This record gives sequence, structure tokens and C-alpha cells, in this order.
Amino acid sequence: MDHSQLPWYLAGPVLGLCVIACRALFNGRLGITGGYSEIVGRLRAGRMSFDWRGWFLIGVLLGGTLFAVLAGGPDFTGYGWLTAHLHGSAQVAIVPILVIAGVLIGYGAKLAGGCTSGNGLTGTSLLSPAGLAATATFFATAIIVSFAIRAVL
Amino acid sequence: MRARLAGLGIGVVFGVLLSWSGMSSPNVIRGALLFQHAYLFLFFASAVLVAAVGLALLGSRQRRALLVDAPIAWTREHVQRRHIVGSLLFGLGWGISDACPGPIATQLGQGIAWALPTFAGVVIGVHLFLRRAGAETEPATEPLAQSRRGSAEAVPV
Repeated sequence: MDHSQLPWYLAGPVLGLCVIACRALFNGRLGITGGYSEIVGRLRAGRMSFDWRGWFLIGVLLGGTLFAVLAGGPDFTGYGWLTAHLHGSAQVAIVPILVIAGVLIGYGAKLAGGCTSGNGLTGTSLLSPAGLAATATFFATAIIVSFAIRAVL
Repeated sequence: MRARLAGLGIGVVFGVLLSWSGMSSPNVIRGALLFQHAYLFLFFASAVLVAAVGLALLGSRQRRALLVDAPIAWTREHVQRRHIVGSLLFGLGWGISDACPGPIATQLGQGIAWALPTFAGVVIGVHLFLRRAGAETEPATEPLAQSRRGSAEAVPV
């Protein structure tokens, strides 16, 4: 982190307000994967017009840009453990690793009906059994994977 | 049109928050998953708490959505195998890359080149699912009136 983190007790509640806003305005379920799905699905059908979920994802991306502009640059360099442990020409291997991880993320989130936002934030706050089970599963899996990677490195 | 602008606006707020809270950085996510700091869990829990209270109030007080012609309503889905299997795959990808779909978008927005392969992977994964599916997969909490939004062939969530 090159910049100081916004305190969690400000960032978290405002994130919660975003979930409420989507419900109040669109009767919508705030979920980032829904945005990817909307855009990919429409483009597959040869169309360029997206509903609010597609525009929400575009907004998230632009939010990153706005932050970087206001903060005077991105808030990190490299890409976590991958760039910390693979150097020089070995960094070529990072590309397929990230593509495969991305495929698992995209396919898995679609299969589960949501990612960290759709199942994690929205599903959990609606006390949806499926959302709670999905959230427990992906958190546990990611934690185990992180400890396993640390054990191997 | 108003709904799209509002979606864009909420997205910008969400993207700034994900960036400002450090969630775009794989190192921050990895530190959280290794239990090195509590920030992510406090951030997540406080968001869920606020959202849960707000949604409960909304459900009891507001009848119609403000920008689309739909009632405020949702269903709570029972756990099915796909929720578990999908989340296992998702958690595996998340643990390897230390990035999930929102942060991948903010990384790209911040101009982080390493986000390109991760982003491409997510797009490929969603594409593969939509191709395989054709069959529609409901999200965990499908709002009752979701399909009322315009065209009948609405893309699955």
C-alpha cells in the first residue's frame, strides 16, 4: 500500500449503503459478477447495450481510475506473491497462472450465482442460505489455498 | 437511462471504496487470508451489518423500486451443489491471484498491467459458463421481478 487505507468503519458501512441503494433503486442485487455476465452475454449476442449491472461494472473500473488520478498513482505495484517470488524471465509464467485463476474465478462465480459481492455481501446480508454457504466455502477455500502457497514457497 | 446512470454512479463509489480500502492490492488480500491483519474481515462484516439492517428496513417500508417498475422483493435460495462447487472453484482462483472480480476491475482502472491476464481469465470463465449453460443459473437471491426489466431474453445474472 502506497496510500493510507480508509478506516474500515467508514469503508464498510458505505459499501453496505451501495447494497441498499441497488435494492431501493432497481430492486437489484449488487454483484460484480452480474456486471461481467451482463456485458459478456450482450457482446456474445452482438449487442453493445447494457443494463444497470453492466454500467455498474464500468463504474467500478472508472472508480479505480478516479482513485488513481486523485491519489497520484495506483495504490500498489507488482501483483502480490507472484511478482515477489518469480523474477526476470520466470515472470512469463505469471500470465498463464493469472489467466487460469481468472477462469476459475469467472466460471466458479457464475456457477455459484455470485462472487464476493453477490453472494458475500448481498447474499449474506439477506440471510440467504445459499449466499451464506457460498461465502463460507469461498473464504475457507481461499484461506486454505493461501496457507498452502505459503507452505510451498 | 436513469437506471444506467445510477448503476454507473454506484459503481464509481464502489470502485473508489475498493481502491481506497486497499482491496485492489493482492498483497493486502493475501495478508488478510493469512490472518495477518483484521481489516478485510472488519470491513466486510461492517458492510454486511449495515446492508442487513438497511435491507430489512427497506423490505418493510418501501414497496416499489425507485428507478424501475418493480416491487421491492427477494427470495432466499436454498443451498444447492452448484453453490458449493462454484465457490470452491472461485475460492481457488481467488486464493491464487488474491483478486476477485471487483478488485480486478479497479486494478485495471488504476492502470495495473498485471490485471490484464486476470481480467481476460474472468471474461473467458464467464463466457465458458454462458456457452455451457444456455441454461439459466439463478443467483443466490434472485429478486422476483428481475425478469421484468425489459427484454424477455434477459441474460442470466
